[in-house]
Amino acid sequence: MQANGVRYQRFSVLHRILHFIVMLGFTVLAATGLTLAFSGNFAARAFASVLGGAAALAGWHKWFAVITYSCVIVHGLWFIYYKSVLKGKLTGPHSIAPSRRDVGEFAHHLRFVIGRSKTPPRFERFTYLEKIDYWAVFVGMNTMGLTGLLLWFPEFFSSFLPGFFVNIARILHFFEALLAIVIKFIIHGGMAHFRPSVYPGDSTIFSGKTTEAKMKAEHPLEWERLKGSEAPAAGEKP
Amino acid sequence: MNRYGWIGLGIATVLLAIVPKYGYPFVEEGREPRPRPLVCLDCHRQRNIETNEGVAAANAFCTDCHAHADKSLRLAGTARIQLNVPADLFTNDPHRFIACVRCHTDVARSPHLSLIGSQCRSCHPVHGERQAHDPHLRVDCQACHFASSFIVLDRDLNRVRLSRFNDQAQPVSLSDHRVAATKDFSFCRKCHFSGNAVGAPGSVLPAKSFVCLACHPASLSLGHWMFVPALLIFGLGVFSMVSFWFKGSVREEQLSLHDKVASGSDHIWQTVFSRRVWDKARIFLLDVALQRRILQESVKRWSIHSLIYYAFLCRLILSLFALIVYNIVPGSSLALALIDKNHWMVSFIYDFLGLCILLGIIFAAVQRYVIRPPHVLSAEQDNIALIIIGLLVLSGFVLEGARIWITQTPFDPAAFAFLGYGISRLLLFLPAAWQDAYGSLWYIHAGVWAVFIAYLPFGKLKHMFTTPLSLMLGSSEKKQEAVH
Repeated sequence: MQANGVRYQRFSVLHRILHFIVMLGFTVLAATGLTLAFSGNFAARAFASVLGGAAALAGWHKWFAVITYSCVIVHGLWFIYYKSVLKGKLTGPHSIAPSRRDVGEFAHHLRFVIGRSKTPPRFERFTYLEKIDYWAVFVGMNTMGLTGLLLWFPEFFSSFLPGFFVNIARILHFFEALLAIVIKFIIHGGMAHFRPSVYPGDSTIFSGKTTEAKMKAEHPLEWERLKGSEAPAAGEKP
Repeated sequence: MNRYGWIGLGIATVLLAIVPKYGYPFVEEGREPRPRPLVCLDCHRQRNIETNEGVAAANAFCTDCHAHADKSLRLAGTARIQLNVPADLFTNDPHRFIACVRCHTDVARSPHLSLIGSQCRSCHPVHGERQAHDPHLRVDCQACHFASSFIVLDRDLNRVRLSRFNDQAQPVSLSDHRVAATKDFSFCRKCHFSGNAVGAPGSVLPAKSFVCLACHPASLSLGHWMFVPALLIFGLGVFSMVSFWFKGSVREEQLSLHDKVASGSDHIWQTVFSRRVWDKARIFLLDVALQRRILQESVKRWSIHSLIYYAFLCRLILSLFALIVYNIVPGSSLALALIDKNHWMVSFIYDFLGLCILLGIIFAAVQRYVIRPPHVLSAEQDNIALIIIGLLVLSGFVLEGARIWITQTPFDPAAFAFLGYGISRLLLFLPAAWQDAYGSLWYIHAGVWAVFIAYLPFGKLKHMFTTPLSLMLGSSEKKQEAVH
């Protein structure tokens, strides 16, 4: 990365830490969860024996679930802080909340990809793809957490829920996990790190900073907005 | 369906009609099987007590005699005692699906008697600090968990166990399988009363709190309420200390608290993920861990400081290690050794480290009040810190001596706690009700520690946070100046 030139802060330290923990936690959850789900597979048996058997795998899975979900809770607390102390806004051009312009940008992007438009859409702070990445994790972690909790304490939950909720939770937990693994490892990994302009990896989420050239290319509207207000961007996103 | 399908279906139909008739034994209706004579292996065989059927069969064999009062009398000396175990005793017992021989591991043999009694520990791990308030490692499970109130200290084995005799020296049966209610601590009073003969302190004391982990293996529980105000004051002190750091301006710029935290955390982040982190690691190793700066100032000062600092550090590491090992493998011999105050290794190391702290305090006091070199300025804060740590260690050693004395721990292993054992011998010459005084001594020791915690962020002792922090933060500033 070029050290000279203006650098813009895109992610605060808290968000970098949260992303890092979720990245590690999600990987361990996927590895242990897939091993438990496909336990007959040769590779799964080898991996399970390395980590100390099925019971140990379940233990790892639960501990990393707690660690990963605690990031959601911290993110929620940060959201309250953002709203009440920093008096941040939920909507507007900098927001990660889905808006109508995302639909337009998606259509524009499609036209650009098939050659019907000469220029790509001019993105704001978050592109529609980044918003999908964020909301997939945010929604996914809550549904996975809820169904996982039901599977962790089935006796407690079946004391007031019908027993078939445990079966439903099992099915949802499994398929949602497969969906999340595909989205995170293939779609998110591909979109964030394998784009030709950033290949082999985008360091923005780890350093928190991005260069002016990248800002101009990827988030031109945000760059113009920040240029107008002159102050460097504070890493804020709801 | 084609031709082969129809042929296959036909063959299957014929087989289904024939096989049940000739393939399986056929029991005629209305005929009782003839009783056959008993063979040896009907009784003398190993039941599979992993199954409910095996448990029922194995227990039926025991209850054949033990469920009947007339069939289970035994002669103990001249008296007859009853080894009757009524079956309905186990109706609501958690052990109702457990085979008798699972616990009574050595009775299924000839001659039919048990030498080792019931073995709880083959399934249950020992209690840690939290449940038992003290690991009670030399107390048999049955002494607390059974309803019998006759407990005795077996001096040959150095164990506290159920007595086979009542207070009139008459033999009593130990076959009462009822368990004591352990929801509240009233059952502790079986042993913990003034003037007991089993070597228990006269009062029921709280568990060691998690704050005691600084020096002792302890549990992750609060222990006693006295640590609540201590921790509150500690928290307030830390809060005021930290908020003081964030007051004032940064390079003549008035920033909000949010911006200060944001830029500070960003600075730390940039340091951690850069080559500068190796400088920090070097500073940490040399100046924080090895105390190089103090050594460069004065060897004497380094020696005094190290006696206290390393001894505290070693005790903290050892206690954390014990906590981790106990929580992962509670039944292992390593975990048992680490939580056992009377284990030779543990008692020797803890006594040695305690002695180091005591010597450090004595040397510091001599340096301050007797030698008085001109550069040592004895401030009020220093005196308070020395007095608190000195009282803490002294009360700890007296407490250990009193424990060895009242529990009547034999020379081996007690002598490995060389200082505590010496004090316990000295207590011989101080005839006092040590059994009753032990509780007060315990509260004095814990109270001094509570004062230590509360005082930590205010006085001299806060240097254990601030000095490493300023060393770690300061070096980067210097580095930056050098670059400029």
